Amino acid sequence: MDEKELILKAKKGDSLALSTLLQQNYSFLIKFLMKITLHPQIAEDLTQETMLKCIEKIHLYNGQSKFSSWLITIASNLYIDQQRKKKRENKWKEQEQALRKMKWEAAKMNDEWSDVIDALAQINEEIRMPIVLKHYYGYSYEEIGQMMGIAAGTVKSRVSNGLKNLRKEMAKHEGETI
Amino acid sequence: MKEKRFNHREVTLTDEEELMAKQVKEGLEKIDQWNPVSIPNIQWFQQQVEMEKKRIRKKQWKDLLTFVSFAVFMLVILLAIVYRQPIVFLYIQLVGIIVLPFAFDQKRKKVSSE
Repeated sequence: MDEKELILKAKKGDSLALSTLLQQNYSFLIKFLMKITLHPQIAEDLTQETMLKCIEKIHLYNGQSKFSSWLITIASNLYIDQQRKKKRENKWKEQEQALRKMKWEAAKMNDEWSDVIDALAQINEEIRMPIVLKHYYGYSYEEIGQMMGIAAGTVKSRVSNGLKNLRKEMAKHEGETI
Repeated sequence: MKEKRFNHREVTLTDEEELMAKQVKEGLEKIDQWNPVSIPNIQWFQQQVEMEKKRIRKKQWKDLLTFVSFAVFMLVILLAIVYRQPIVFLYIQLVGIIVLPFAFDQKRKKVSSE
């Protein structure tokens, strides 16, 4: 059964079709959230929340965008809302812990740590998100704008300034290590 | 500085931006390697769907009940005013005296459980 058929059935209340849809998109969703949160535990919790929201709002999905893009929209909004409620200090502590854990995982696999992840963690999530969507997933500025509820021009400037900030962060890091 | 066409859809990126974007992509790919994802089986998803649907139905009934109760309450007040029945106000006061302690008690329980 293809995705369109599953969506149609899910909208009519078919639980199996909805479960299949969620299962098919689970891996994509959690991987996306890991990249924007840089925190595996938060990513897992948000995946769960996104799925619950999807179950509740499936009747509102209009099929204009891909189902995976719709899930990204829900997940991004949930993440931004969650981060806005958190205190800056707590956010920083949480992020540091998650990065330490990831560094440990990388070392366990004998893999070299990528400094760009540290730099990405330093920038605000509302800037990190469009960078990931643009340069990892290849979405257009218009699509990202629709997902985040902002103008395409704003996305463009966030991506461009974000890349400049990343470069600065990387240079700062290189300066510290020399 | 020389500019390159990076994406056929829209924008032109400078060499430095293009290099940075490449580094971002490579870095993010590593996150997938370090955090392998295991997908739960279909039964788990079905269970989640059923549980959430049940919760939504319960919430809808609760909302409907609240709405109807409020509407009835407003209607009673309106009728009491129109037909000038002071006894109805007395009943409302009595109902309030009986119901309010329960409502406050429930609220207190909620706060203490948090």
